[in-house]
Amino acid sequence: MTNIENKIFSSYQKDATLYDEIFDSEGQIKEVYQKLFSLYGEHSIKDYVNLNSKAKASFFNQGITFQVYGDKETKEKIFPFDLFPRIIDPTEWDIIEKGSIQRSKALNLFLWDVYHDKNIIKDGIVPMELISSSDNYLDQMQGLEPPEGIYNHISGIDIIKHNDGKYYVLEDNIRCPSGVSYVICNRTALKRALFGVFNHYQTYSVTNYAENLLDLLETVKPHGVDVPNTVVLTPGMYNSAFYEHSYLAKTMGVELVEGRDLFVENDFVYMKTIKGPEKVDIIYRRVDDQFIDPLEFNPDSVLGVPGLFAAYKKGNITLANAPGTGVADDKAIYTYMPEIIKYYLKEEPILNNVHTYHCSRPDELEYVLKHIHELVIKPVDEAGGYGILIGNKLSDKEIELAKNQIKATPRKYVAQPIMSLSVHPTYIDDSEEFEQRHVDLRVFTVLGKNKEFVLKGGLTRVALQKGNLIVNSSQGGGSKDTWVLKSI
Amino acid sequence: MSIEYTINYSTTNTYENIVKSAFWQFLILPESNKNQELVNVKLNNSLNVANEISINGYGFKTVRIHTKKEFTKLLFEATFHVIKNDINPYQFTEDNTEEIKLINNINYLIDFESFLKCTTYTKLPKTDHKLFVFDWSKTIFQNLQNLNNWVYNFIYFKVNKTNIYTTLEEIIINKHGVCQDFTHLFCAIARKNKIATRYTSGYLHQGNGYFGDSQMHAWAEAYIPKIGWVGFDPTNDLLADINHIKVCHGKDYQDCAPLKGVIYATGKNKTSHTVQVLSQQQ
Repeated sequence: MTNIENKIFSSYQKDATLYDEIFDSEGQIKEVYQKLFSLYGEHSIKDYVNLNSKAKASFFNQGITFQVYGDKETKEKIFPFDLFPRIIDPTEWDIIEKGSIQRSKALNLFLWDVYHDKNIIKDGIVPMELISSSDNYLDQMQGLEPPEGIYNHISGIDIIKHNDGKYYVLEDNIRCPSGVSYVICNRTALKRALFGVFNHYQTYSVTNYAENLLDLLETVKPHGVDVPNTVVLTPGMYNSAFYEHSYLAKTMGVELVEGRDLFVENDFVYMKTIKGPEKVDIIYRRVDDQFIDPLEFNPDSVLGVPGLFAAYKKGNITLANAPGTGVADDKAIYTYMPEIIKYYLKEEPILNNVHTYHCSRPDELEYVLKHIHELVIKPVDEAGGYGILIGNKLSDKEIELAKNQIKATPRKYVAQPIMSLSVHPTYIDDSEEFEQRHVDLRVFTVLGKNKEFVLKGGLTRVALQKGNLIVNSSQGGGSKDTWVLKSI
Repeated sequence: MSIEYTINYSTTNTYENIVKSAFWQFLILPESNKNQELVNVKLNNSLNVANEISINGYGFKTVRIHTKKEFTKLLFEATFHVIKNDINPYQFTEDNTEEIKLINNINYLIDFESFLKCTTYTKLPKTDHKLFVFDWSKTIFQNLQNLNNWVYNFIYFKVNKTNIYTTLEEIIINKHGVCQDFTHLFCAIARKNKIATRYTSGYLHQGNGYFGDSQMHAWAEAYIPKIGWVGFDPTNDLLADINHIKVCHGKDYQDCAPLKGVIYATGKNKTSHTVQVLSQQQ
């Protein structure tokens, strides 16, 4: 039996109602964490404070920052990193990996269908209104064949562990999911700070992401191209994820470009270089749909490339992800995921979905309005945790306001029971102690031609404010290194 | 019978300040379809840059011009030769039970969803004005023909009173407008009655005093079950015929705008177009 009187955990407070990732319900350390627990116990909390500030400085020096958009000002911040890693054992990981691939494939087939025959709607599985009222459905994608039939090359699936100990998917991100660079930087930072602990675990590497991404993107090159030229298209240095764009380009060994670096001639895309124009075949674009081509979408966009969409429609370039994928990661479509998986793959969903109430349905709307204090209210088309309301945290006045908003535009909202995200010991600056904090996990899946890759690690995000359930970095969350074990 | 047309399109764009770089996309090329054939295209621009033929997001042919030379004036001219066949008289049914069943079928609603939905330009306001009401004892074709006539009488053709930002609400209150306003109102009422309808852009040969020459023209195409797309020109109270030369279609004007540009310059600009449609009967 492990000694629970560990120095650095002496004042760790366990809330019995929460699912703790490292302590079981009897307060014992779970098997996978035992070695780590005793290794960390060899340090004093003072050592820890020291290492923590070094890790922070390392992030700042590397320029690993992001921007938070607020009403008043925009700030550049480092993404708070926690030195105590999260460990996922091989059996659990197997479920997550298989489940993520299953979801990504089902979403891809769904996208093909809604931009072609729309059989899932004709068969009455998904209602037409969800597609026709979605701002993210692009009519221009109808009948278009993306190279090798892939739409969502890169998916970021957000998973939590509920207090029943089971994994649930909270949402699928298949537009331009970000965060993968943090997975790799977190690993680097932890290795620098506490290299020794890695000797005691057989952990999968996470540094192979970029090479796998490039390999898989190259499998979906445009028809007729022999050796494809790939670039990463960024909105520029003022984008919140610019660090990641530059990191991915650097590690893939490809050029990082802005819209003004590219031009279209006779429906082919070229990059301006000092040696003259260079043809581009695959664009990993981190610019949103509406901004990729001012001639086809938002005419005021200066981030895109005029004529890009025509080049795409003619099959001369691959865009990853394809335009119009946003229709499938809408929070209203999410609720149909179990049916979508069964419909296309004839399989049972491997990962659970959280039960969702659609405010667009009168009976469910009534339930939501009545039980609003027990529910999380989410706008269907906002990303990054913006606009989420947690019922039991609202004042009476806020509840009234929320109800009126929902009643005015019910289609815009869905509601879910308040899920209890699992907690993980996290070092807290203010108290200089380890405390329980809620965590989730973003898993990155890449689809290529008859091949897929899941990054064995993923981004564990931590809600740093006590009791807070929203882990998004834009909402003040932090992150942890995430270990997937080869064996226990 | 078929007619050979020569269409001359020209536009002049002048800019207050020097333009450093620009892209234009013209959606003005007649399409080739079962009733018409584009046999010859001549393009010319005053900047001496390439006229690229490409497509827009809906697959219709476009002409694109890109320049990095500084300028303040662009003149663009295009000449098309089109052979247009007379449109065969349609075989319309007398009995509407079957067609009403078809427009309520789930597959029809899903397949034609793009042309059944309400868009910015085809949104009917809540007004006290009495708008056209379908008579379901009649066939869809009869209803659309009556709607065509109703729109024609409802709006007075008047140029320079409306622009591309005018809403249907203003049109309905003020009752004047140009071909795109007539067409949007036709589409809006037809769609409200579950008839898939698309906004169509093109050229009109004005033999005898119809509106629509000297500018590009707009009309509507409605889908009639078992027959297909039939063109209605509410500006002239006509069915689209041998005089209507189609360029493209879309949900509304926005999908069919003849000229789109991305201009890197400050200050004001002026655009003028002229269109000439000449015929030679074969």
